[in-house]
Amino acid sequence: MSEKKKPYDYVESPFMLTRREFVIIGGIIIALLAVPVVWLRSALVNRNYYIKARTKGLYQDDVSSKIRMSHENPAIARFYKEFAGHPLSAVSEELLHTTYVNRMNALS
Amino acid sequence: MTDSSFILKHPMQVRVFHFILAVSFLTLAVTGIILFQKPLQEAAMNTVIQIHVVAGVVMTLDALAFLFLAFDRVVMFTKRVFTFSGNDLKWFTVLGGYPQKILLHKKVEVPPMGKYNAGQKLFGIFVLVGGTLLILSGWALWTLPHIIPHGDTSMIGTIHLYVSWILILFLLVHLFLGIYMVDDFKAMFLHGRIPYEDAAEKSPLWVKNDICKIG
Amino acid sequence: MNVEVKTYRKGEIPGIIAIDGQNCRGCDACKRYCPTGAITGMFGATHRIDRDRCISCGQCLINCPFGAPYETVDTVEEVQAKLGDKRYTVAAIIAPAVRVAVGEPFGLPAGSLVTGKMYGAMRKAGFVIVDNNFAADLTIMEEGTEFIQRARHALFGEKAEHGGEIGPLPQFTSCCPAWVRFVETNYPSLIPHLSSAKSPQQMAGAVAKTYGAERIFKVDPEFIYTVGVMPCTAKKFEASRPEFQSACNFVKERGGASPGTPYPDVDTVLTTRDLARLLKRMKIDLAAENNAEGGTLFAEYTGAGTIFGNTGGVMEAALRTAYVVLTGNNLAKLEFEEVRGLRGVKSASIQLRDAKYGKDVTLKVAVVHDIRANIRPIVEDVLAGRSPYHFIEVMNCPGGCINGGGQPICDTGSSWIGRILPSFAWS
Repeated sequence: MSEKKKPYDYVESPFMLTRREFVIIGGIIIALLAVPVVWLRSALVNRNYYIKARTKGLYQDDVSSKIRMSHENPAIARFYKEFAGHPLSAVSEELLHTTYVNRMNALS
Repeated sequence: MTDSSFILKHPMQVRVFHFILAVSFLTLAVTGIILFQKPLQEAAMNTVIQIHVVAGVVMTLDALAFLFLAFDRVVMFTKRVFTFSGNDLKWFTVLGGYPQKILLHKKVEVPPMGKYNAGQKLFGIFVLVGGTLLILSGWALWTLPHIIPHGDTSMIGTIHLYVSWILILFLLVHLFLGIYMVDDFKAMFLHGRIPYEDAAEKSPLWVKNDICKIG
Repeated sequence: MNVEVKTYRKGEIPGIIAIDGQNCRGCDACKRYCPTGAITGMFGATHRIDRDRCISCGQCLINCPFGAPYETVDTVEEVQAKLGDKRYTVAAIIAPAVRVAVGEPFGLPAGSLVTGKMYGAMRKAGFVIVDNNFAADLTIMEEGTEFIQRARHALFGEKAEHGGEIGPLPQFTSCCPAWVRFVETNYPSLIPHLSSAKSPQQMAGAVAKTYGAERIFKVDPEFIYTVGVMPCTAKKFEASRPEFQSACNFVKERGGASPGTPYPDVDTVLTTRDLARLLKRMKIDLAAENNAEGGTLFAEYTGAGTIFGNTGGVMEAALRTAYVVLTGNNLAKLEFEEVRGLRGVKSASIQLRDAKYGKDVTLKVAVVHDIRANIRPIVEDVLAGRSPYHFIEVMNCPGGCINGGGQPICDTGSSWIGRILPSFAWS
């Protein structure tokens, strides 16, 4: 279509916005769009903090323990002395060991 | 070529944007309500959410394209909907004269308005803010529900729900008035122009301040 | 729901987790946490759990944004009733991971170590303490000895002392009930590789009702009510396995009183969430309690027992003991940093000299957690006979038991430890 045949005689004035207004309003729009993105990023990056905090708590318990190796636990020594004898003894096998079952056949 | 002269109210890119927005949003609203109510069987629900997702992607692309290709229009729209005056309050006291006109066939004095009247501005703000929230929250709920902390996902879900209800309610009014005013409807969906006299009556401030003759 | 389940034996609780269709939004988040693909229902439709595939790990439960999955078994009231019944000694078997999480429901920051307060609150409620860390130490003795036996058999051809059969390498840990059920339902040919050692919970129950009844509590084992306090939903299933009545059989064989109905080693299991609920019902504020001692022999534990709750902890504890037993020397540094942290598969090589055989060996160990993401390649290697490892620790939940399915739900966090990649749910 050529210029002359346009079906209208008036348009919106492009000077409705000053350059200054354009930059300020445009900047606000972009900034507001960025807010949720920044928030989401931080939520995603810090998502495991509680796992790390609990992990740290247990390692802290380890460091603050007086004894840090299982075979040095005097209660364990007493248990074997008074009751089970030694690891993998007959009593141990009966009370502390188990067997497993194949459940796969039931599925197919 | 005609007796009365015309103003180009909605340029081409606005009309295309609005058309895609209308189609995708209506689809999203209908499928969204179904997803909320869960009335259908498994496969049908799956189809509904697939349509919801596709329409959401279309709406997002539409919004992004408009944001990048017509950033000036977005800024202009933002400025207009966020510019208020005492006239806007007065407009709300008579509700733009529409109820009187439609129900009682009476004409009342309406304060002079710009391109958008006070009701349209309010709707515009909700569409701008709410639409952005819906798009962002929708994408988060679709693609990241397993990674975002679950409390936050749940909050995002709540936002998605309430914002969509608000927009759907606004949309009902918008649909009614949009179709009621046939000239505006044609302008938005077909040719983009409205008669000078009509505009001068409905949007006197716009015609006075923001319009210039071409050529 | 009366659907027939096939992968459960008589007496076992058929699946601990179910999904509340009212709350489910069909978002598919849970499916990305499920290690066995047990969650069915198309994207957008209400999801369901296939209990035959479910290993009751509870990861879906603690990660659903909408709180749809729930536990089908809740024995808080039953435990409270037993606490009020003076005939019973109610023994709480408290898992390591509970002490760093149970503070959270009482307003303490995540990861607060509250062993003393927890002992105080639970003794006030009427429990006697059987710290599962004690049983963890016991597990290391049994499982570590079993590993040394298997290793010496495989490497040096050592025969079993009593002529019994010795299992193959690599040896897998068996502490995690979800992992055990995963093997039983998905890779039964791996069963010989699983350590025969019971999980610490079951050891604690069996010991409390035999040795404990006889020497420590000095009561009839029938009147010891053992309560596992676990960070885990699968432990509820584990406690219901029919073979875990060993204390009852043991006592009967030795001429003890024969009970009307056989009693299980662990009578019931409370999750960390359940424990917090129980204490709140009893108006006990754990956060305000003073630090207390455990008060029994079974509350004595070592640093090796307590780290069982972290991924890599069982391995680290086993290595500390195995190193000393094999070499006869002490370790210069107790920490095995290679097996710590949140990487999906962690491995370490330990060079040592077996003092008994006078030979140098390089022990290769691996630690796997978040089995949904990490276990399959490891298992395929073992089945194909090309696995380089001698000992493999497996924990189902990402991060280990501290992030178990029974832990307090942390709304501001997520269990996702893999890369941040979007997923595009479709069907």
